[in-house]
Amino acid sequence: MTDPLVPDRLDLVPDALLVSRAADGDTAAFETLARRYGPLMRACARRLTGSYADADDVVQEALVQAWKQLDTLREPGAVKSWLLRLTGSRSIDFLRRRRNHAGFGDIDEVSGKGDVGSPEAGPEAKAVQGSSIESLKAALARLPEEQRRCWVLKEFNGQSYDQIAQTLNISTASVRGRLARARITLVREMEEWR
Amino acid sequence: MSMPNDNLECGHTLEELSLYLDTGEFADPRHLETCPDCRNGLDSLRRLTAAGSELLSNDLAAAGSGNDPWMKNILASLKLELRPGRDIPLRSDDPADRLTETEGSVFALIRSVADATPGAVAGKVRLHGDVTVPGEPITVSVDLAVAFGHPFMRSAAALRLDLAKALARHTELNIAGIDITITDVIDPSAAQAPDPAPQEES
Repeated sequence: MTDPLVPDRLDLVPDALLVSRAADGDTAAFETLARRYGPLMRACARRLTGSYADADDVVQEALVQAWKQLDTLREPGAVKSWLLRLTGSRSIDFLRRRRNHAGFGDIDEVSGKGDVGSPEAGPEAKAVQGSSIESLKAALARLPEEQRRCWVLKEFNGQSYDQIAQTLNISTASVRGRLARARITLVREMEEWR
Repeated sequence: MSMPNDNLECGHTLEELSLYLDTGEFADPRHLETCPDCRNGLDSLRRLTAAGSELLSNDLAAAGSGNDPWMKNILASLKLELRPGRDIPLRSDDPADRLTETEGSVFALIRSVADATPGAVAGKVRLHGDVTVPGEPITVSVDLAVAFGHPFMRSAAALRLDLAKALARHTELNIAGIDITITDVIDPSAAQAPDPAPQEES
Protein backbone atom coordinates (compact mmCIF):
# COMPACT_ATOMS: atom_id res chain seq x y z
CA MET A 1 0.00 0.00 0.00
CA THR A 2 1.42 3.36 -0.93
CA ASP A 3 0.52 6.16 1.33
CA PRO A 4 1.50 9.60 0.10
CA LEU A 5 1.93 10.83 3.66
CA VAL A 6 3.76 7.90 5.12
CA PRO A 7 7.51 8.38 4.96
CA ASP A 8 7.73 11.59 6.91
CA ARG A 9 4.08 12.22 7.55
CA LEU A 10 4.62 14.68 10.30
CA ASP A 11 7.15 16.61 8.24
CA LEU A 12 4.38 17.41 5.77
CA VAL A 13 1.70 18.65 8.10
CA PRO A 14 1.15 22.31 8.94
CA ASP A 15 2.47 23.89 12.12
CA ALA A 16 -0.95 24.32 13.69
CA LEU A 17 -1.70 20.60 13.54
CA LEU A 18 1.67 19.73 15.07
CA VAL A 19 1.02 22.24 17.84
CA SER A 20 -2.37 20.64 18.58
CA ARG A 21 -0.84 17.20 18.75
CA ALA A 22 2.06 18.36 20.88
CA ALA A 23 -0.35 20.15 23.24
CA ASP A 24 -2.20 16.81 23.52
CA GLY A 25 1.07 15.20 24.61
CA ASP A 26 2.51 13.91 21.34
CA THR A 27 6.28 14.24 21.70
CA ALA A 28 6.91 13.13 18.11
CA ALA A 29 4.89 16.08 16.82
CA PHE A 30 6.83 18.40 19.09
CA GLU A 31 10.14 17.01 17.87
CA THR A 32 9.03 17.59 14.29
CA LEU A 33 8.38 21.23 15.16
CA ALA A 34 11.76 21.41 16.88
CA ARG A 35 13.50 20.02 13.81
CA ARG A 36 11.55 22.38 11.56
CA TYR A 37 12.51 25.56 13.42
CA GLY A 38 15.57 24.46 15.38
CA PRO A 39 18.06 25.69 12.74
CA LEU A 40 16.45 29.15 12.69
CA MET A 41 16.40 29.25 16.49
CA ARG A 42 20.04 28.20 16.52
CA ALA A 43 21.04 30.86 13.98
CA CYS A 44 19.32 33.60 16.00
CA ALA A 45 20.70 32.38 19.32
CA ARG A 46 24.18 32.22 17.89
CA ARG A 47 24.05 35.84 16.69
CA LEU A 48 22.96 36.83 20.19
CA THR A 49 25.27 34.63 22.28
CA GLY A 50 28.26 34.44 19.96
CA SER A 51 28.80 30.69 19.77
CA TYR A 52 27.04 27.53 18.66
CA ALA A 53 27.74 25.83 21.98
CA ASP A 54 25.87 28.56 23.85
CA ALA A 55 23.23 28.73 21.14
CA ASP A 56 22.50 25.02 21.56
CA ASP A 57 21.99 25.47 25.32
CA VAL A 58 19.65 28.35 24.60
CA VAL A 59 17.69 26.39 21.98
CA GLN A 60 17.29 23.52 24.41
CA GLU A 61 15.99 25.83 27.15
CA ALA A 62 13.62 27.50 24.73
CA LEU A 63 12.24 24.13 23.60
CA VAL A 64 11.70 22.94 27.17
CA GLN A 65 9.81 26.15 27.88
CA ALA A 66 7.84 25.78 24.65
CA TRP A 67 6.73 22.25 25.57
CA LYS A 68 5.54 23.42 28.98
CA GLN A 69 3.73 26.48 27.67
CA LEU A 70 2.31 25.17 24.40
CA ASP A 71 -1.24 25.42 25.69
CA THR A 72 -0.77 29.17 26.23
CA LEU A 73 -0.15 29.68 22.53
CA ARG A 74 -3.36 31.30 21.36
CA GLU A 75 -2.66 31.15 17.64
CA PRO A 76 -1.14 27.71 16.88
CA GLY A 77 -0.16 28.83 13.38
CA ALA A 78 2.08 31.49 14.92
CA VAL A 79 4.35 28.92 16.56
CA LYS A 80 7.39 29.95 14.54
CA SER A 81 7.45 33.55 15.73
CA TRP A 82 6.62 32.34 19.24
CA LEU A 83 9.60 29.98 19.24
CA LEU A 84 11.85 32.80 18.03
CA ARG A 85 10.53 35.02 20.81
CA LEU A 86 11.32 32.34 23.40
CA THR A 87 14.75 31.94 21.83
CA GLY A 88 15.32 35.69 22.12
CA SER A 89 14.34 35.80 25.80
CA ARG A 90 16.37 32.73 26.71
CA SER A 91 19.38 34.19 24.85
CA ILE A 92 19.16 37.45 26.76
CA ASP A 93 18.78 35.56 30.06
CA PHE A 94 21.82 33.55 29.14
CA LEU A 95 23.85 36.69 28.45
CA ARG A 96 22.76 38.19 31.78
CA ARG A 97 23.81 35.06 33.64
CA ARG A 98 27.11 35.04 31.83
CA ARG A 99 27.76 38.66 32.75
CA ASN A 100 27.01 37.87 36.38
CA HIS A 101 29.67 35.20 36.25
CA ALA A 102 32.16 37.36 34.39
CA GLY A 103 35.62 37.44 35.86
CA PHE A 104 35.87 33.69 36.18
CA GLY A 105 37.01 33.21 32.65
CA ASP A 106 37.53 35.07 29.47
CA ILE A 107 34.26 36.42 28.22
CA ASP A 108 33.83 36.94 24.56
CA GLU A 109 30.67 38.92 24.09
CA VAL A 110 31.40 39.90 20.54
CA SER A 111 29.18 38.33 17.95
CA GLY A 112 30.54 35.27 16.27
CA LYS A 113 34.03 35.54 17.67
CA GLY A 114 33.56 32.44 19.76
CA ASP A 115 33.22 30.42 16.61
CA VAL A 116 36.31 31.24 14.66
CA GLY A 117 36.89 27.62 13.86
CA SER A 118 33.34 26.66 12.98
CA PRO A 119 32.13 26.49 9.41
CA GLU A 120 30.66 29.82 8.40
CA ALA A 121 28.64 28.63 5.45
CA GLY A 122 28.57 26.09 2.69
CA PRO A 123 30.19 26.73 -0.68
CA GLU A 124 27.01 28.07 -2.26
CA ALA A 125 26.46 30.52 0.51
CA LYS A 126 30.04 31.63 0.11
CA ALA A 127 29.62 32.30 -3.57
CA VAL A 128 26.66 34.63 -3.10
CA GLN A 129 28.02 35.97 0.11
CA GLY A 130 28.56 39.47 -1.17
CA SER A 131 31.06 41.55 0.66
CA SER A 132 28.14 43.56 2.04
CA ILE A 133 27.60 40.59 4.33
CA GLU A 134 31.20 40.69 5.45
CA SER A 135 31.08 44.40 6.14
CA LEU A 136 27.78 44.01 7.98
CA LYS A 137 29.26 41.26 10.15
CA ALA A 138 32.27 43.39 10.97
CA ALA A 139 30.11 46.43 11.73
CA LEU A 140 27.78 44.35 13.91
CA ALA A 141 30.71 43.04 15.92
CA ARG A 142 31.80 46.62 16.67
CA LEU A 143 28.34 47.75 17.74
CA PRO A 144 27.72 48.38 21.45
CA GLU A 145 26.24 45.21 22.94
CA GLU A 146 22.87 46.74 23.85
CA GLN A 147 22.35 48.07 20.33
CA ARG A 148 23.41 44.82 18.74
CA ARG A 149 20.88 42.89 20.83
CA CYS A 150 18.09 45.21 19.70
CA TRP A 151 19.08 44.87 16.08
CA VAL A 152 19.33 41.07 16.16
CA LEU A 153 16.04 40.68 18.04
CA LYS A 154 14.39 42.85 15.41
CA GLU A 155 15.98 41.59 12.20
CA PHE A 156 16.69 37.96 13.09
CA ASN A 157 14.11 37.02 15.70
CA GLY A 158 11.49 39.21 14.03
CA GLN A 159 10.27 40.74 17.28
CA SER A 160 8.17 43.88 17.50
CA TYR A 161 9.34 46.96 19.43
CA ASP A 162 7.05 46.03 22.32
CA GLN A 163 8.31 42.45 22.42
CA ILE A 164 11.94 43.60 22.35
CA ALA A 165 11.17 46.04 25.16
CA GLN A 166 9.75 43.16 27.20
CA THR A 167 12.66 40.85 26.41
CA LEU A 168 15.28 43.44 27.33
CA ASN A 169 13.25 44.93 30.18
CA ILE A 170 13.54 48.47 28.81
CA SER A 171 10.98 50.95 27.48
CA THR A 172 9.66 50.86 23.94
CA ALA A 173 11.13 54.35 23.45
CA SER A 174 14.57 52.99 24.37
CA VAL A 175 14.14 50.19 21.86
CA ARG A 176 13.27 52.72 19.18
CA GLY A 177 16.35 54.79 20.04
CA ARG A 178 18.78 51.88 20.28
CA LEU A 179 17.55 50.29 17.11
CA ALA A 180 17.81 53.57 15.22
CA ARG A 181 21.33 54.19 16.54
CA ALA A 182 22.33 50.66 15.63
CA ARG A 183 21.01 51.10 12.10
CA ILE A 184 22.60 54.51 11.66
CA THR A 185 25.99 53.17 12.71
CA LEU A 186 25.64 50.07 10.54
CA VAL A 187 24.55 52.08 7.51
CA ARG A 188 27.42 54.47 7.95
CA GLU A 189 30.04 51.78 8.41
CA MET A 190 28.76 49.81 5.45
CA GLU A 191 28.73 52.91 3.29
CA GLU A 192 32.24 53.84 4.24
CA TRP A 193 33.18 50.42 3.15
CA ARG A 194 31.38 50.68 -0.20
CA MET B 1 17.98 60.97 21.70
CA SER B 2 19.99 61.04 18.50
CA MET B 3 23.53 60.52 17.43
CA PRO B 4 25.38 63.53 16.16
CA ASN B 5 25.04 63.88 12.40
CA ASP B 6 21.88 61.87 12.36
CA ASN B 7 19.98 65.02 11.34
CA LEU B 8 19.29 65.31 7.66
CA GLU B 9 19.45 68.69 6.02
CA CYS B 10 15.68 68.76 5.66
CA GLY B 11 15.35 68.70 9.44
CA HIS B 12 14.18 65.09 9.75
CA THR B 13 16.30 62.40 11.38
CA LEU B 14 17.39 58.91 10.46
CA GLU B 15 15.68 57.75 13.65
CA GLU B 16 12.36 58.97 12.25
CA LEU B 17 13.08 57.16 9.00
CA SER B 18 14.05 53.97 10.86
CA LEU B 19 10.74 54.07 12.72
CA TYR B 20 8.90 54.80 9.48
CA LEU B 21 10.37 51.67 7.88
CA ASP B 22 9.08 49.47 10.71
CA THR B 23 5.75 51.10 11.44
CA GLY B 24 4.84 53.24 8.44
CA GLU B 25 4.41 56.16 10.82
CA PHE B 26 5.77 59.54 9.77
CA ALA B 27 4.62 63.01 10.74
CA ASP B 28 4.61 64.32 7.19
CA PRO B 29 4.27 61.41 4.73
CA ARG B 30 4.10 63.65 1.67
CA HIS B 31 7.50 65.08 2.49
CA LEU B 32 9.03 61.62 2.00
CA GLU B 33 7.94 61.54 -1.63
CA THR B 34 9.77 64.69 -2.55
CA CYS B 35 12.73 65.03 -0.20
CA PRO B 36 15.97 63.69 -1.74
CA ASP B 37 17.68 63.50 1.67
CA CYS B 38 14.94 61.34 3.11
CA ARG B 39 14.86 59.15 0.03
CA ASN B 40 18.59 58.59 0.27
CA GLY B 41 18.27 57.82 3.95
CA LEU B 42 15.48 55.34 3.30
CA ASP B 43 17.46 53.71 0.50
CA SER B 44 20.41 53.23 2.83
CA LEU B 45 18.20 51.76 5.54
CA ARG B 46 16.55 49.42 3.05
CA ARG B 47 19.95 48.25 1.83
CA LEU B 48 20.82 47.51 5.43
CA THR B 49 17.62 45.53 5.88
CA ALA B 50 18.40 43.55 2.73
CA ALA B 51 21.94 42.87 3.93
CA GLY B 52 20.45 41.76 7.26
CA SER B 53 18.14 39.24 5.56
CA GLU B 54 21.07 37.97 3.55
CA LEU B 55 23.16 37.57 6.68
CA LEU B 56 20.29 35.67 8.31
CA SER B 57 20.01 33.35 5.30
CA ASN B 58 23.75 32.72 5.50
CA ASP B 59 23.62 32.09 9.22
CA LEU B 60 20.67 29.77 8.74
CA ALA B 61 22.54 27.75 6.11
CA ALA B 62 25.54 27.62 8.43
CA ALA B 63 23.40 26.53 11.39
CA GLY B 64 22.73 23.21 9.67
CA SER B 65 19.59 21.13 9.39
CA GLY B 66 17.12 19.78 11.88
CA ASN B 67 18.45 16.29 11.23
CA ASP B 68 22.03 17.12 12.23
CA PRO B 69 23.73 15.68 15.32
CA TRP B 70 23.45 18.96 17.25
CA MET B 71 19.66 18.79 16.96
CA LYS B 72 19.62 15.12 17.90
CA ASN B 73 21.65 15.95 21.01
CA ILE B 74 19.21 18.67 21.97
CA LEU B 75 16.20 16.42 21.40
CA ALA B 76 17.83 13.60 23.36
CA SER B 77 18.27 15.78 26.41
CA LEU B 78 14.86 17.46 26.37
CA LYS B 79 13.13 15.04 28.79
CA LEU B 80 9.65 16.26 28.00
CA GLU B 81 7.16 15.79 30.80
CA LEU B 82 4.15 13.63 30.06
CA ARG B 83 0.71 15.14 29.70
CA PRO B 84 -1.50 12.50 31.35
CA GLY B 85 -4.77 14.44 31.33
CA ARG B 86 -7.69 12.99 33.29
CA ASP B 87 -7.65 9.60 35.01
CA ILE B 88 -10.09 7.17 33.43
CA PRO B 89 -11.23 4.46 35.88
CA LEU B 90 -11.07 0.79 34.89
CA ARG B 91 -13.02 -2.10 36.40
CA SER B 92 -11.11 -4.39 38.68
CA ASP B 93 -11.93 -7.81 40.09
CA ASP B 94 -10.81 -6.84 43.54
CA PRO B 95 -12.76 -3.86 44.90
CA ALA B 96 -9.67 -2.83 46.85
CA ASP B 97 -7.77 -2.17 43.64
CA ARG B 98 -8.08 1.15 41.92
CA LEU B 99 -7.15 0.87 38.26
CA THR B 100 -7.03 3.77 35.86
CA GLU B 101 -5.71 4.64 32.47
CA THR B 102 -4.77 8.17 31.47
CA GLU B 103 -6.63 10.32 29.01
CA GLY B 104 -3.26 10.98 27.35
CA SER B 105 -2.84 7.30 26.58
CA VAL B 106 -6.29 7.19 24.97
CA PHE B 107 -5.36 10.24 22.88
CA ALA B 108 -2.24 8.41 21.74
CA LEU B 109 -4.30 5.33 20.85
CA ILE B 110 -6.73 7.42 18.81
CA ARG B 111 -3.90 9.22 17.03
CA SER B 112 -2.15 5.98 16.14
CA VAL B 113 -5.33 4.48 14.68
CA ALA B 114 -6.06 7.65 12.70
CA ASP B 115 -2.44 7.91 11.51
CA ALA B 116 -2.69 4.34 10.19
CA THR B 117 -5.42 5.45 7.79
CA PRO B 118 -3.89 5.89 4.33
CA GLY B 119 -3.54 9.56 3.43
CA ALA B 120 -4.48 10.85 6.87
CA VAL B 121 -2.72 12.36 9.86
CA ALA B 122 -4.46 12.99 13.16
CA GLY B 123 -4.57 16.45 14.72
CA LYS B 124 -6.30 17.47 17.93
CA VAL B 125 -8.18 14.74 19.82
CA ARG B 126 -10.82 15.30 22.49
CA LEU B 127 -12.97 13.11 24.73
CA HIS B 128 -16.19 14.98 25.46
CA GLY B 129 -18.06 13.94 28.57
CA ASP B 130 -16.95 13.03 32.08
CA VAL B 131 -14.47 10.21 31.51
CA THR B 132 -13.84 9.91 35.24
CA VAL B 133 -17.33 8.43 35.73
CA PRO B 134 -17.63 4.80 34.52
CA GLY B 135 -20.31 4.26 31.87
CA GLU B 136 -20.78 7.96 31.16
CA PRO B 137 -21.48 8.48 27.43
CA ILE B 138 -18.38 9.88 25.74
CA THR B 139 -18.07 11.49 22.35
CA VAL B 140 -14.70 11.36 20.62
CA SER B 141 -13.66 14.17 18.31
CA VAL B 142 -10.65 13.86 16.01
CA ASP B 143 -9.24 16.49 13.69
CA LEU B 144 -7.59 15.12 10.57
CA ALA B 145 -5.29 16.36 7.87
CA VAL B 146 -5.77 14.42 4.64
CA ALA B 147 -3.63 14.16 1.54
CA PHE B 148 -4.95 16.06 -1.45
CA GLY B 149 -6.41 13.81 -4.12
CA HIS B 150 -6.62 10.84 -1.80
CA PRO B 151 -10.06 9.18 -1.81
CA PHE B 152 -10.55 9.88 1.84
CA MET B 153 -14.34 9.88 2.10
CA ARG B 154 -14.39 6.12 1.61
CA SER B 155 -11.92 5.62 4.42
CA ALA B 156 -13.70 7.94 6.87
CA ALA B 157 -16.30 5.29 7.54
CA ALA B 158 -13.58 2.68 7.92
CA LEU B 159 -11.67 4.92 10.30
CA ARG B 160 -14.75 5.43 12.47
CA LEU B 161 -15.10 1.65 12.65
CA ASP B 162 -11.40 1.13 13.43
CA LEU B 163 -11.56 3.72 16.18
CA ALA B 164 -14.66 2.12 17.70
CA LYS B 165 -12.95 -1.28 17.68
CA ALA B 166 -9.70 -0.01 19.16
CA LEU B 167 -11.51 1.93 21.87
CA ALA B 168 -13.64 -1.07 22.73
CA ARG B 169 -10.58 -3.28 23.01
CA HIS B 170 -8.29 -0.95 24.94
CA THR B 171 -10.69 1.10 27.05
CA GLU B 172 -13.95 0.70 28.93
CA LEU B 173 -15.31 4.00 27.71
CA ASN B 174 -18.96 4.10 26.67
CA ILE B 175 -18.46 5.68 23.25
CA ALA B 176 -21.62 7.51 22.17
CA GLY B 177 -20.19 8.98 18.99
CA ILE B 178 -17.07 9.63 16.96
CA ASP B 179 -16.79 12.96 15.15
CA ILE B 180 -14.16 13.27 12.47
CA THR B 181 -13.35 16.76 11.19
CA ILE B 182 -11.02 17.38 8.29
CA THR B 183 -9.14 20.53 9.19
CA ASP B 184 -6.36 20.48 6.61
CA VAL B 185 -5.78 19.20 3.12
CA ILE B 186 -2.12 18.54 2.42
CA ASP B 187 -0.54 18.44 -0.99
CA PRO B 188 2.32 15.98 -0.55
CA SER B 189 3.79 16.83 -3.94
CA ALA B 190 4.26 20.38 -2.72
CA ALA B 191 6.04 19.04 0.33
CA GLN B 192 7.99 22.03 1.40
CA ALA B 193 11.34 21.89 3.03
CA PRO B 194 11.09 23.46 6.45
CA ASP B 195 10.54 27.17 6.11
CA PRO B 196 13.97 28.75 5.58
CA ALA B 197 14.04 32.33 6.78
CA PRO B 198 11.49 34.80 8.12
CA GLN B 199 12.05 37.35 5.41
CA GLU B 200 12.91 35.56 2.27
CA GLU B 201 13.50 37.59 -0.82
CA SER B 202 13.22 36.15 -4.23
